[in-house]
Amino acid sequence: MSVPNPVADAETGPETASGPEPEADAKAGIVTNLAVAAVVTALGAAALAGALALGAGRPAQPGPGAWPAILGGALVLLGIVLALRARATADAERFGRTALPVLAALASMAVFVAVVGVIGFEIPAALLAFVWLRFLGRESWLVSVAVSLGLVVALYLLFVAALDVTIPHMF
Amino acid sequence: MSDVLGGFAVVLQPENLLYCLIGVVIGMLIGVLPGLGPAATIAVLLPLTFGLEPVTAIIMLAGIFYGAQYGGTITSVLLKLPGEASSVVTVFDGHALARQGRAGTALGIAAIGSFIGGTASIVALSVVAPFVAGFALGFGPPEYTMLALLGILLVATISQGGRVKALVAAVVGLLLATVGRDGFTGAERFTFENLALADGIDFVPVAMGLFGLGEILHSLEERHRALREPAPIADVWPSRADLRQAGGAIGRGSVLGFALGVLPGGGAVLSSMAAYALEKRRSKHPERFGNGAIEGVAAPETANNAAATSSFIPLLSLGIPANATMAVIFGALLIQGVAPGPQLVTEEPELFWGVVNSMYVGNVLLLIMSIPLVGLFVRILRVRPAVLAPITVLITLIGAYTVNNSVFDIGLVIAFGALGYLMRKAGFDPGPLVLAFVLGSLLESSLRRSLLIFDGDPTGFLTRPISGTLLVFLLFVALLPALQRLRPRRTRPENATAGTR
Amino acid sequence: MTSRLRALTATVLALALTGCGGNLGDDGAADGADFPDRALTLLVGQDAGGSTDLIARALADQVKNDLGRPVTVQNRPGANGAVAAKELAAAKPDGHTMIVFPGTLAYITPLAVTPAEAVDITGYDVVTGISQDDFVLVANPGTGFRTVTDIDRAITYGTTGVGTGSQLTQALLFAQAGIKATAVPFDGGAPTLTAVLGGQVDVASVQLGEAQAQIKAGKVTPIVTFAQKRPSYLPDTPTAVEAGYTVPVQQSRAIAVPKGTPPQIVDRLRTAFQKAFAGQAYRDFNTQRLLTPNEVDGPTLLGQWTGSLQTYRALVDQYDINLAGTA
Repeated sequence: MSVPNPVADAETGPETASGPEPEADAKAGIVTNLAVAAVVTALGAAALAGALALGAGRPAQPGPGAWPAILGGALVLLGIVLALRARATADAERFGRTALPVLAALASMAVFVAVVGVIGFEIPAALLAFVWLRFLGRESWLVSVAVSLGLVVALYLLFVAALDVTIPHMF
Repeated sequence: MSDVLGGFAVVLQPENLLYCLIGVVIGMLIGVLPGLGPAATIAVLLPLTFGLEPVTAIIMLAGIFYGAQYGGTITSVLLKLPGEASSVVTVFDGHALARQGRAGTALGIAAIGSFIGGTASIVALSVVAPFVAGFALGFGPPEYTMLALLGILLVATISQGGRVKALVAAVVGLLLATVGRDGFTGAERFTFENLALADGIDFVPVAMGLFGLGEILHSLEERHRALREPAPIADVWPSRADLRQAGGAIGRGSVLGFALGVLPGGGAVLSSMAAYALEKRRSKHPERFGNGAIEGVAAPETANNAAATSSFIPLLSLGIPANATMAVIFGALLIQGVAPGPQLVTEEPELFWGVVNSMYVGNVLLLIMSIPLVGLFVRILRVRPAVLAPITVLITLIGAYTVNNSVFDIGLVIAFGALGYLMRKAGFDPGPLVLAFVLGSLLESSLRRSLLIFDGDPTGFLTRPISGTLLVFLLFVALLPALQRLRPRRTRPENATAGTR
Repeated sequence: MTSRLRALTATVLALALTGCGGNLGDDGAADGADFPDRALTLLVGQDAGGSTDLIARALADQVKNDLGRPVTVQNRPGANGAVAAKELAAAKPDGHTMIVFPGTLAYITPLAVTPAEAVDITGYDVVTGISQDDFVLVANPGTGFRTVTDIDRAITYGTTGVGTGSQLTQALLFAQAGIKATAVPFDGGAPTLTAVLGGQVDVASVQLGEAQAQIKAGKVTPIVTFAQKRPSYLPDTPTAVEAGYTVPVQQSRAIAVPKGTPPQIVDRLRTAFQKAFAGQAYRDFNTQRLLTPNEVDGPTLLGQWTGSLQTYRALVDQYDINLAGTA
């Protein structure tokens, strides 16, 4: 992964910029790979169970559950294949403390969606932008405040004033 | 043919030209906002056209249509936010190019490809439309089943990384497409008694969450180590070498786009996928695809534009709009007192050819305008990632809301953002999931309709000429890599398959 | 940067102060005095481009003039409109969200789905009836069918969805005529008609307005209409009743709002729609789409629809028809 050639980049997709890649992107171990396989299998099993409960029907009159049952079954099989290959798999990244900012980001968005219907989008949007700028992005206080306020004003003018979108808004 | 030229005369009237320009500009500006796709944009701006002559109104609406489509391409390339299903494939290489500082090249080649694809398609439409009129009618549920299956197979070809994981992602995408009320029995499937899910999951939250938001979340993790510097913005316009490299892709994309665009429902999406897969297959270096191959942008963008033009053929021969955008446009016509139908071409040739040719003129305008505008849009990438991220996130969240005016969709886009992040961590490419999701309901409903028509007998697929041929082709495509893989070379498993394929 | 920012902030504050209020509170507007105080939404449970959608757009275009606010048509396709209807039921009863309610959803769908999933029209306030639309059975010319008695083999028929008038008309007709027929549901009128044109299915019942261009062009053959009397436009095609079958099924449409909308607001909306109905542009639209005006008030419409539901329930029981796709 530390070799910045196209093939290596392909492992994590085109979005990973080439450059020095310290240990945070280290390969996941077999435990992670098995866990991924287990999640896939479980998802397939759940889909299969739900689909059979809907009713599969018969070939001349397929029921609502027929197609999802096929897909659920396929996922179970694929999950087993993934588990069998877990040792030889090297395309996953290790999960660890580097994920903390991601959790913080998700939390900020969860707060946004939770309160937007109650107090409108302006205040949560400004707060979200500020948190991302100041704490996730390490921008200066001045830039953080200015950009988050300016952004909310711009969004308001664009979506509410110009496009008349019905997004909940306070002003 | 004289009607075709008459149509040009209509479009080239200064007033119509002006409204075409206005439409393209408005479309492009709104298309840049995620969520508001062409159909929604046209519906919103419909009232603006009521005071206009029918021809002028429709020309402006058509202008909005491809302006918005190009706007969607811009966000696909710059921010990895595809606004339309037919520009999902553009994300793969378009965004990779942008990462290398070549966003201008990507957008330039997209504009050139769109222009050539549209031109080729309109010439073909004028010449062969009467002959291919019946083509679309030959495609019933069994044929669509085969096409959708072929599309799913192409998904595996298109994707990055391991094949098993691509299949997992594709199956999950197909499963997500089953969420909602079943159109055959009325049964609620996987909705957990949530009203917001009864209508199924919309494309926009899935695509924007998995691609755009997932990408941003993933980059937050990298920020721990070093802020990624924005790539220097290189040459804005594609070089001669780029054009040479993309030439073949544009030519083949035009043909594929024209052929598949004739099929109402799914034609444009399938054509963009097929064009991309074809280029990847043909390439001596398929590993370049997904990492900034210029053909990877040229092929799908050419194909989807060619398809947009040839989708007029079903309308011409059958009087049936091929997609939601066409439906809205012709609904507008109807309100203005013009009845679209099989006779439209003979009864209102000026109108029909005026509209078709306005698409062409719109392409020219788009090409001319993209020169200054691409440079402008590309500057977005000069903004520091730490500042760009919250801006993108908020526009994405609000954009998700605008699709159905639903706060639930904001929640969905966040959930899919988290899923996109986790998939990336676990080595799954989200691309197959999104593309399979797009094809999911076409595949299931066509399959079930086919079984109803065949009375449950699957050999029916073989006895129909078109579906039988497609099935054989499908098996060929499916077995080809397996046959190739028989060659004894499997040292690096899983992650290296993209390179060894 | 900051000075421009200040200017922008000032602009927004000015906007806020000049009455560009938020859309959060539901207080104040309850008495309907300042109704409508923002853009209105007209939900359509079908895809853009279909009959219901076109009616909605034709009306929205007129109604907005009288109400003085934009009326946005929003398509929420799914289950013959049940998805949109359920969404409306959950909306705030302040008149700003309306729906074009397809009658078949009220009097046919309940025959196809479980009681829990059925949509009950009495759970809504009806603003006004709109119009009625007749169904016509069309065949692919290749089948050679010209009348019901020509159908001498097992056939497949396209329907525009589960629990639609398209499905009921054909299920009733084929049950009474003793024809073995398999239903193939499509998503709405246009794909269904395309399937007949391409010979994917033998016949289909679609709305007259949707089929008229194809009939005129000779691309499909009309067999019977399910109208009360022969439409002036198809003088040579018998109605099902004339052909000897009891299939009195029509599509009807109405404007509805959530239950509990203040009566003043319902009246205000009804006035706006009546003005729209009177407009020449809308009347031309009706003529062109072969729609029969049915611009009755709420209670009358409810009477029509509950009557239809009882009639159809009796017919479905009599002929032992199962409208849900699973056998």
